[in-house]
Amino acid sequence: MKPMKTSWADEVEADYVDGLPPTKEYTQGNLKFVAEYKYNEDGKKVKVVRTYKIQKQTVPKVVARRRNWSKFGDSRLDKPGPCSQTTMVAEEVHMVFISSKELEQAQAQEPQMEPGKNIARCRICNGEHWSVNCPYKGTSMDSKTLMESKATAAAAAAVSDASKTGKYVSPFLKEGGCAIGGGIGAKPWVRERSAVRISNLSESMTEADLEELVKKIGPHTKLYLAREKNTGLCKGFAYVHFKFRQDAAAAIEILNGHGYDHLILCVEWSKPQP
Amino acid sequence: MRPLMLQGHERSITQIKYNREGDLLFSCSKDQKPNVWYSLNGERLGTYDGHQGAVWCLDVDWESRKLITGAGDMTTKLWDVEYGTIIASIPTKSSVRTSNFSFSGNQAAYSTDKAMGQNCELFIIDVRNADSTLADQTPTLRIPMTESKITSMQWGPLDETIITGHDNGNIAIWDVRKGQKVVDSGSDHAAGINDMQLSKDGTMFVTASRDTTAKLFDSESLMCLKTYKTERPVNSAAISPILDHVVLGGGQDAMEVTTTSTKAGKFDSRFFHLIYEEEFARLKGHFGPINSLAFHPDGKSYASGGEDGFVRVQTFDSTYFENIFE
Repeated sequence: MKPMKTSWADEVEADYVDGLPPTKEYTQGNLKFVAEYKYNEDGKKVKVVRTYKIQKQTVPKVVARRRNWSKFGDSRLDKPGPCSQTTMVAEEVHMVFISSKELEQAQAQEPQMEPGKNIARCRICNGEHWSVNCPYKGTSMDSKTLMESKATAAAAAAVSDASKTGKYVSPFLKEGGCAIGGGIGAKPWVRERSAVRISNLSESMTEADLEELVKKIGPHTKLYLAREKNTGLCKGFAYVHFKFRQDAAAAIEILNGHGYDHLILCVEWSKPQP
Repeated sequence: MRPLMLQGHERSITQIKYNREGDLLFSCSKDQKPNVWYSLNGERLGTYDGHQGAVWCLDVDWESRKLITGAGDMTTKLWDVEYGTIIASIPTKSSVRTSNFSFSGNQAAYSTDKAMGQNCELFIIDVRNADSTLADQTPTLRIPMTESKITSMQWGPLDETIITGHDNGNIAIWDVRKGQKVVDSGSDHAAGINDMQLSKDGTMFVTASRDTTAKLFDSESLMCLKTYKTERPVNSAAISPILDHVVLGGGQDAMEVTTTSTKAGKFDSRFFHLIYEEEFARLKGHFGPINSLAFHPDGKSYASGGEDGFVRVQTFDSTYFENIFE
């Protein structure tokens, strides 16, 4: 070392081979630190500090003897201890445990998505009887006013649909039938169900967002947001079971074509599962 | 857990093995240099330089003094484990596919490929006083394989027999003294056996087959005891020395790898319960199929070598030991 030099800037320039300070090592308790300087891909100087934990282990004599073997072959020039060229510590990984119980639960949940076992389901109070026999028929619950004016038409259609009693009207002729069935005509299952399918949702959609979206329209009994098995991201569609059919109809009226999270939603009646 | 990633090979790993105490981990690959590592910290002790072709198999004797390797350069070599020097290089007529020391370390067996007009053949040599003259000595036993080539091999109990797994899915036991077949498994496996590994006490062994299953066999009668089903070829399987667990590694053929994503989860190590045959855990890591697996003799860690050229040493967390199978 030249004692004359005082400026650290000069030292950097003169003393270090290719401008890099030498590697430093120091130990602190049972930890060993190795600070290394190198150039990264952009040609910038970086300091890399590696921390090693020193552990003591009791091993058989032969194993201890083998620990002191000198390196050979391509490793003959390596210093004692792991060489960063050949040994790396990989990213943290976790074992994914699969229990048979989880599988069973997943299978048990599936049937719940299918339509109720009772064929008769009241459109007004969701009870297990035909809408015609509903005790709430003609009450405030039946002709519930909706907050969104846009929805009234659809709701009215649904209500009038419910109030029609004796005479047979073909699904095609029913008011709003075409709208409900999407042009093909209302199928029998449409009359019994109050579930809608919302598609074209963004990946970042969550159950909370979905609830927020449909809460305004009316009470719902079930929400299901389809998620990718591995990533947990939204698959782009969801099912909402409304408590009342009118609300479901209103939801289709209001939300279909509604812009949400930069995407235009598509809302339609949920088709029964085969 | 944070696995150790050992990056000593330039090409895909073909086989990895621990020595008896488990402090050394040997790996060989399709490049020409088998490596040896300290399993505890992943430090490379050295490389065994001398082969001219892909090294297909290796084995270390129970004292960790000698290493036997078989390679595509049509030689099988005996090495000094400590110094990395060649003790003997035995020329063969075609590439060497399997090689193993007997438990005592007195004998070694190796098998050659059916290629270049040569038949597959099993050789047994005496390695007690191995030196360079071994190349000129005649093997103590030669068994020609007429049916299908040997793809994996293990010594049976008391060094009296050799268990061979064949390319057509057959498994057979050969008596070393008689030089003939004593037990044949029939057709338990529909496709080639990629790997066979004995349990700690040697009473049973697990096979890994291209027919997408791994099976547990009794090592005396070759009776199939258990079947572990997956949906892709199994390249390697190992039995835990301390728990009733089997780990399976595999993936699709190397040529199909580029057309499938790692996300599909095809390259995981899969843990099955030995007795209930049910999968209970998976562990990701490799970005290519796993070619070889080995449990540390203490059962607290295991290593896997993949088509991606990496060897990964995974030490189990407490969650693995706490996980009660139900």
